[in-house]
Amino acid sequence: MHELKRMALISAFALALAGCGENGDKTKVDGEGSGNDAAFASTYQAFPSETTLITNAHIILGNGEAIESGSILVTDGRITAVSADAIESEGANVIDARGRYVTPGIIDIHSHLGDYASPGVKAHNDGNEITSPVTAEVYAEHGVWPQDPGFDEALAGGVTTLHILPGSANLFGGRGVTLRNVPSRTVQGMKFPDAPYTLKMACGENPKRVYGEKGGPGSRMGNLAGYRKNWIKAQGYKKKLDAGEDVARDLQLETLAGVLSGDILVQMHCYRADEMVQLLDVAKEFGYKITTFHHAIEAYKIGDILAETDTCAAMWADWYGFKMEAYDTIQENVPFVHAQGACAMIHSDSDMAVQRLNQEVAKTWANGNRAGLDISEAEAWKWLTLNPAKGLGIDKETGSIEEGKRADLVLWSENPFSTYALPDQVFIDGALMYDRAAGLKPKSDFRLGHPGVGSEG
Amino acid sequence: MTNFSKLLLSSAIVIAMSSQAIAQTIFINDATVVTNNGDRLEKTDILIRGDRIVNIGKNIVAPDNAKVIEGAGKWVTPGLFGALTNLGMVEIGAEDTTNDTSAKDAVTSVSDLAVDGFNPKSPIIGNTRVSGVTHVAITGRPSHNIFAGTGFVANMSGHLESVEQDESFIYVQLGSWGGKLAGGSRSAAMSQLRAALTDAAAYPARYKSPTDGDALPRRDAASLARAARGLMPVVIGADRASDLLNIIKLKQEFGLDVIIAGAAEGWMVADALAAADMKVIIDPMANLPGSFDAVGSRLDNAKLLADAGVDMALMSFSESTSHNVRVLSQHAGVSVANGLDWDQAFAAISSVPAGWFNLPSGVLKRGIDDATIVVWDGDPLQVTSAPTFIMINGVEQSNQSRQRDLRDRYNPTRDETRAHKYR
Repeated sequence: MHELKRMALISAFALALAGCGENGDKTKVDGEGSGNDAAFASTYQAFPSETTLITNAHIILGNGEAIESGSILVTDGRITAVSADAIESEGANVIDARGRYVTPGIIDIHSHLGDYASPGVKAHNDGNEITSPVTAEVYAEHGVWPQDPGFDEALAGGVTTLHILPGSANLFGGRGVTLRNVPSRTVQGMKFPDAPYTLKMACGENPKRVYGEKGGPGSRMGNLAGYRKNWIKAQGYKKKLDAGEDVARDLQLETLAGVLSGDILVQMHCYRADEMVQLLDVAKEFGYKITTFHHAIEAYKIGDILAETDTCAAMWADWYGFKMEAYDTIQENVPFVHAQGACAMIHSDSDMAVQRLNQEVAKTWANGNRAGLDISEAEAWKWLTLNPAKGLGIDKETGSIEEGKRADLVLWSENPFSTYALPDQVFIDGALMYDRAAGLKPKSDFRLGHPGVGSEG
Repeated sequence: MTNFSKLLLSSAIVIAMSSQAIAQTIFINDATVVTNNGDRLEKTDILIRGDRIVNIGKNIVAPDNAKVIEGAGKWVTPGLFGALTNLGMVEIGAEDTTNDTSAKDAVTSVSDLAVDGFNPKSPIIGNTRVSGVTHVAITGRPSHNIFAGTGFVANMSGHLESVEQDESFIYVQLGSWGGKLAGGSRSAAMSQLRAALTDAAAYPARYKSPTDGDALPRRDAASLARAARGLMPVVIGADRASDLLNIIKLKQEFGLDVIIAGAAEGWMVADALAAADMKVIIDPMANLPGSFDAVGSRLDNAKLLADAGVDMALMSFSESTSHNVRVLSQHAGVSVANGLDWDQAFAAISSVPAGWFNLPSGVLKRGIDDATIVVWDGDPLQVTSAPTFIMINGVEQSNQSRQRDLRDRYNPTRDETRAHKYR
């Protein structure tokens, strides 16, 4: 659900219900940063796959390139060949994609699926620890309900990897987790092996609104002071760790120290241009990196600065106006940031938009070109796959169709820049997870016995 | 329409016309024309003189004085109609001083006129218009009881006189949210609605004594009186199939003109809705079991309702009812991807809801006044398409908006030469 939430949900006009809340304080972990930390280690195993050869496909590679008619070979879950020429493979399952498109699986860098699961009952508000402005100690994965039916629908939209974040009430919201979009009884069974942990931070209106009458911060000044005070603490903690001193384990400081050591990637909720630049200064002061600004409504105003500092921006195509700091977006935000040489990407923050992120990119791409840019479809597809993969530190594994990478693929019924395109098939690690024609699709336990998608199991 | 609103409407047109000193002649040639009044026309010309569509056909000769719009590759359609929005009632959702959509501490409800909170000068209107939305129905939200007040219809010209009808419908919330507003249950909500309709149907007779009606204070009963007699639509928010059947009964019991907003589980009772001549507004993207009211949500709801013959409009409830209503065409496009016929989908965001409110803006045909047209650079249901020319009630509209002003100021392809550029 969108931040501050979409105003009209449930029935015609159900009220906004602030989605991403706010929250409270503390901590972090061992500095190891990887999703395979001993605690809550990934138990993900790829689903069974067969050697698959896709032929005659219009291939958008995800790295800015395209092959108008080519083939992709998938062996043991990995992409083993991509070519404009014919590829020989005996015994492979051959899919003739003539007239259709193949792209890398979509990566949504900003999702709350599982943490704000459907149905949206109070009991499912597990996405934000709104008890203190510093809750670096919480982990988004501990709020994820793997049976959220939203995962299944996101898969039907071509989403193969999701980054689940805590909400934005807190200065330090807690750890995010990167998931494979596969059915699993446990969140551990979805965790992207070896993906770095992330830290959600938030600037602007949310923390000061939520804590203004609860001890602060009550202003943007207080927000900034809050970041700095905690980074100072983290520096002290890390110093002791580095010196091999015996320190009482502190979950908050563990996470922050993990950022300072470069193991945990900062995902920073921030809207205003001036504020993003102030946060870049904080990062400089304490020697850490902000991987990606999320929402980044005004990123187009500072594309040059984002490019200079190698900072990504994850944006919406057109969502805006729900609060003052969200007033100044433009429908060309993503392409304008891209055109200034910075790393731009789309994100959903919504259990609805995640199902059609290709359309969100198509919208903003078309608006950018209408404004005078000349960005190709192949280049724009980076906003859906390779750039979010970079923002999450998993670009060696997924995000583009290149030999050696995981075979996360979407076969589209037609050009995915068309509103009428639908995924025909979705592969994760080479395994066919969704097949529209065959009716193959994961079905959450919750769906059973309810009307709509049947109770046949 | 009340006499007052007729007066308002006619004065609005007079002012709109007068702002256009000289009647323009517009000629569009060789376009794909969606009339909502028969087949789609290919390579067709349109001639508009002043505010009237003078001709639609092939090989029309352009008058010498005409402004010519090359239509090759372009589509011409009626304007889009947002069937249920809060546009112009809220500038910034989270800032109370800019948000007139609800009034939780008010003592009135039905008699709260949404039009009193409308700001046609909001930049949100321009941001919406440039995406092809020319008219919308507008209501507040329910806050302290099941009635959100009285809604209205406006165009998106951004003129101070853009209200087309000042009292057009009553909004009522049922379902689980309605139950909460009524004190805790669906039963309470239905009881209150029946009591209120009974009060209003007997207004003013029932209000001769100081004890008033069963459910409504005098002022609200007066405002509900026309709707209670079936003379004005009642828009009722509900999703669950059982709620929809209750609403059918209510419609029949009181002889109401009902439009159901939501109807996520409408497909389950599609035949009953059609048989009851029910109008529905649905979101064709709503497919998640977002609440226990809507566990039966599915992507082909629009197609199934259409197949049953239900009178249906499409809206962007899951995305926005204010700032981002402009995604209406995207929602219609998604309904097509999921089985709905293209012409039905387009009518569901234009002529169908416009017709419910007796607006002529939803159809293109020869001899129509108050011409409202949009010229698109491609199929209007494709997210990559956009309007290139918009006319509302015979007046050419600006293609600029606050967002486009910002776009132009920061466009990386342009050199910004202002002396005091923000650096």
